[in-house]
Amino acid sequence: MSMLNEWQDYLPDFLDGLVVTLQLTGVSLLLGLPLGLGLALAMTARRPAIRWPATLLVEVGRGAPALVVLYFVYYGLPQLSLTWSSFACAAIALAFTTSAYTADIFRAGISSIPVGHREACQALGLSHAKELRLVVLPQAIRVVIPPLVGFCILLYQGTSLAFAVSVPELLSRAYSQASITYQFTATLTLAGLVYGAISLAAVALMRARWPRRTPTITAGATRPPEPPTRTHPSWETTSERRER
Amino acid sequence: MKYDDHPVVRPLLALDGVCVAYRHHEVVHDVSLEVASGEVVALIGPSGAGKSSLLRAINFLEPPSKGRIVLDGAEVGGSRRSLDALRREVGMVFQNFNLFPHLTALQNVMLAPVHTLGIPPAQARERAMQQLTHVGLADHAHVKPGKCSGGQQQRIAIARALAMEPKVMLFDEPTSALDPELGAEVLATMRALAAEGMTMVVVTHEMHFAEDVADRVVFMADGRIVEENAAGKLMRDPQHPRTQRFLNAVRNR
Repeated sequence: MSMLNEWQDYLPDFLDGLVVTLQLTGVSLLLGLPLGLGLALAMTARRPAIRWPATLLVEVGRGAPALVVLYFVYYGLPQLSLTWSSFACAAIALAFTTSAYTADIFRAGISSIPVGHREACQALGLSHAKELRLVVLPQAIRVVIPPLVGFCILLYQGTSLAFAVSVPELLSRAYSQASITYQFTATLTLAGLVYGAISLAAVALMRARWPRRTPTITAGATRPPEPPTRTHPSWETTSERRER
Repeated sequence: MKYDDHPVVRPLLALDGVCVAYRHHEVVHDVSLEVASGEVVALIGPSGAGKSSLLRAINFLEPPSKGRIVLDGAEVGGSRRSLDALRREVGMVFQNFNLFPHLTALQNVMLAPVHTLGIPPAQARERAMQQLTHVGLADHAHVKPGKCSGGQQQRIAIARALAMEPKVMLFDEPTSALDPELGAEVLATMRALAAEGMTMVVVTHEMHFAEDVADRVVFMADGRIVEENAAGKLMRDPQHPRTQRFLNAVRNR
């Protein structure tokens, strides 16, 4: 019972932290997703001069642990006289990581569209841009939404890394409360519950909206969509990966 | 128009020494072919003969590695503009239909007239409905391709190509993905199209279609034209041993 009473004391502060966590998630996605789509288009471009830099950026973004990127932005860039608030640093770092991971998800979605559809577009005289906008992307979006939602949930949990650069998000609040009361079990359990509640709600929402089913493929389309490869961020645990 | 009486002044489509290569592996060697306006040419031959590659080279889905393609007197080059002009005038129907599954039949047919030709949507819709009526699928206008049978899908694909009002229609084994019954309805549509005077180049394994509907049959093997003649003559009285072997094998199946 005592834990419930403590939670009552912590909750208002934690909810303030949750707001910061959600803001950080939102800003990271707002910046990261369009960039990810851009990188995916660049990675599938015909010209190597466009393809290679994009691929390099994505590999760096996925190869570097998010915490390293975060430290780089927070501690490294000021040495080049680029100084931002800790929130901005966290948002920039997480947006970069987001763009790298989602670029690969988008790329997999784009390459899941049968080559024949692109050939049909060419045979109909559609420009490359129209082929993407009217035929490839509308189909690819349907393929990538489930893995994207999965990534958003991981990013939401990953924002706890911003604790390391003292953004007052959910985990920071839990830690500072604990450092006053020494009730680590109670505070961290509550933080975990708050993270978990939002994540599970998001998963439930996704399942309701996009129930699992085999993608509809017309008789002519020969290749089933290629499953997105290596979409798990470095902070994802094995059990989470298995669940997905 | 029959082959026997075709003193063509200028062919609608002319291939001159066309080669097609994938990387450095050449699959079509030095093919020359002329197609008159209104003529139906069937390309037959064993798999791997280069029929589809040749057809795809005509509208530059597989740009020819050598040779010239002349459409209605204008040589098709690699430039964007000449390619655009070519694709407006050459319709293509694929073995796998390649309809866009996220769009309805009508939207599939309207897409290119609106976005390639720049026709106002209302007008394009009318044109698309005409073409769907033409292939007997007006009642399927608002259905997505996934809900249609294979034969219906291929007819929608034909309507989609026709909506561009092309001068030439290319068919790449249009019935190979269909069972014989559904294939028959597609062949009937193509037969009607031929009767209306559409210029057609058809890669096919349907020997009856080649014999009955085509004016001229071209037999290809190993990337070359082995023999070509008026449809009836080639099918009944092939001259080249390779053609005889192929036709015997097909007939005695």
